[in-house]
Amino acid sequence: MVKEVAWREIRTRARTKSFRWITGILVAAAIVGPVLAAVVPENTDDDRREVTIGLVAIDQGIENQIAAFAEAGLDITFRDFTSASSEQVGQALADGEIDLALESGPTLVWNRSTDFEIAGVVYTVLQQQALLARGRALGLDQGDIVELLTPVELEERFANEAGESEGVTIFVSFLGLMAAFMLPQIFGQLTMMSVVEEKSTRVIEVLLNHLRPRTLLLGKVLGVGALAVVQLVVVVGGLAAALLATDSIDIPAAVWRFVPIILVSILGGLAIYNTLFALLGSLISRQEDASQVMMPIFIPLMAGFFIGQTAITGNAESLLVKALTLFPLTAPMLLPLRVARDAIAPWEVALSLGFLVLGVWGLIRIAARVYEFTLLHTGSRVGWGQLVRLSRGATLD
Amino acid sequence: MPMTNGLRVTGLHKRFGDIEALRGIDLEVPRGRLVGFLGPNGAGKTTTMRGVLGLVAMDAGSVTWDGSPMSEDDRHHIGYMPQERGLYPRMMVHEHIAYMGRLAGLDHATADRRARQWAERVGLADRGDDLIQELSTGNQQRVQLAVALVHEPELLILDEPFAGLDPVAVATLSEVMAEQVARGASVVFSSHQLDLVQDLAEHVTIVATGLTRATGTVTDLRAQSPVRHLEIHWNGSVPSWSPPDGEPRNAPAGVSRFVVPADSDAAVLIASAAASGAVGAVSFEPPGLDDVFLELVSR
Repeated sequence: MVKEVAWREIRTRARTKSFRWITGILVAAAIVGPVLAAVVPENTDDDRREVTIGLVAIDQGIENQIAAFAEAGLDITFRDFTSASSEQVGQALADGEIDLALESGPTLVWNRSTDFEIAGVVYTVLQQQALLARGRALGLDQGDIVELLTPVELEERFANEAGESEGVTIFVSFLGLMAAFMLPQIFGQLTMMSVVEEKSTRVIEVLLNHLRPRTLLLGKVLGVGALAVVQLVVVVGGLAAALLATDSIDIPAAVWRFVPIILVSILGGLAIYNTLFALLGSLISRQEDASQVMMPIFIPLMAGFFIGQTAITGNAESLLVKALTLFPLTAPMLLPLRVARDAIAPWEVALSLGFLVLGVWGLIRIAARVYEFTLLHTGSRVGWGQLVRLSRGATLD
Repeated sequence: MPMTNGLRVTGLHKRFGDIEALRGIDLEVPRGRLVGFLGPNGAGKTTTMRGVLGLVAMDAGSVTWDGSPMSEDDRHHIGYMPQERGLYPRMMVHEHIAYMGRLAGLDHATADRRARQWAERVGLADRGDDLIQELSTGNQQRVQLAVALVHEPELLILDEPFAGLDPVAVATLSEVMAEQVARGASVVFSSHQLDLVQDLAEHVTIVATGLTRATGTVTDLRAQSPVRHLEIHWNGSVPSWSPPDGEPRNAPAGVSRFVVPADSDAAVLIASAAASGAVGAVSFEPPGLDDVFLELVSR
């Protein structure tokens, strides 16, 4: 019977336009992003900034060196201002005809403020020119000067493999955090709406003729959870395929060590939050009242997400992060992060997963008990006090 | 207590806070019988039905099926049509009926076959792939009936099944109910359309303020009434005659109507009327079910 209920949830939810559109858009985004990044060159001629430099009483041969040096980022045009007065130069700068005037000295004349991108290029070329001139004055030939100015080649190496893969690790950790944060919200609310729909349409009366409340709850949590997993697999699969096809990224071996933890955490998060959303959905009879009961769920979700964000690059071993890793409602977001950052002991992983499983099991037991009394309750919503009494085994008045 | 085949409800009590919804409801629906379960709004009909289904825990009383306390397994053999239609708006007609059949224990193939059979039987053969929310209220009610019957229940509980139905749908539903009784199912239904109940059900149970006020055949309940309805069609003008202890009622031109005590002698009354004017036709009958109902619930 659990399978029947779960399968109904999957089929009816999966064929809604909203589910199909959202999944389609996410898959398209996951595929298009890497493909675009691979197809579009990083810097095209069109992206180059157009700059005009006025040459006032300066060696006219300098423009070729500046243009060659700036080729990658700046498209530089030179205008001859040798016969222009300083007022005319000032007016040209003010009118935007030129971005910089080069005077003898050499002096860089700006309109109001320095443009550091242009200044960097011009300064480097002028420096090289000056060094060449000084070298010649010292009797050095062209080959000596070139050897003297040749920059030192610096090499880099990483002491640990993790250092090499840190960027990918952070990226995958962030994806995991986002999934653990977003999926329970989206699919938890679907679960809640499903419960409220059954109450508001009174189909619940017919269902309970054949099903136990616990069976209905389990089927719903599993069905909607499975749908979330399907969406996740399709989107991540699309992203992975696009990354591999475009050869955009090398996935380091270290990443595969914590991907299973991410998946287990997401599954645990879906199970615990879907159950929580279902439980709270059973307290109300109308979809308009959903916002009244949903607020408490967002507190641990938001806490886990924001603390998780800081822990991606910050301190992943603070007391707060450690404590929340053991709390079943925040563990799905924090556990994978700490594993990814290698900032957790194996016993903490085991304890966190153990608490998560216990949390899911305990919540399902409580929810099933509450469910028996609240599913047929109509009219005003069941209060928090009544919920606490029901969860302790009392009955509704 | 004698062994009873079918449903037997005895002394149901249920309190919701300060409200005593049921104060002693008795109801008997033997196999192969159609019973009308009547009562004004708030009388406790729906609560009683929910008690039979196990949806509401009773404070006192018993519900038995074939002489034994109704078990969870027995409840799988109940078909229920709630007062407020219980359907998934975004499921398709066939899919919905088959799903409920599977929940009731049918295998996939049987549930699918029965879903098609019942959709056809209730006149929705060509709407099988339509979403429930695209159907009219009356057609949704037909789906609800198919859902209640797909697993061929032994006990059929229908809460206000005729509410909002057009005459064609009423006829279909009436036929289906009769078929279920013919195959041996116990069928109990509530309705405020008493003329319809009188035509359909041989037996009725009338409840009010949480108590069973009367139970028996419609004929017996009518016969037990303390009054009779006397109707005289006059030839020519209507005389100013009225029977002793008779209460006049509104009547069309050329007709006199009176409510008289049940122990009145019809022959004496007719002779007296004939002495006052030209009597064309006379009827002297127990009151209809609606009058019996009003009399019982107003006690």
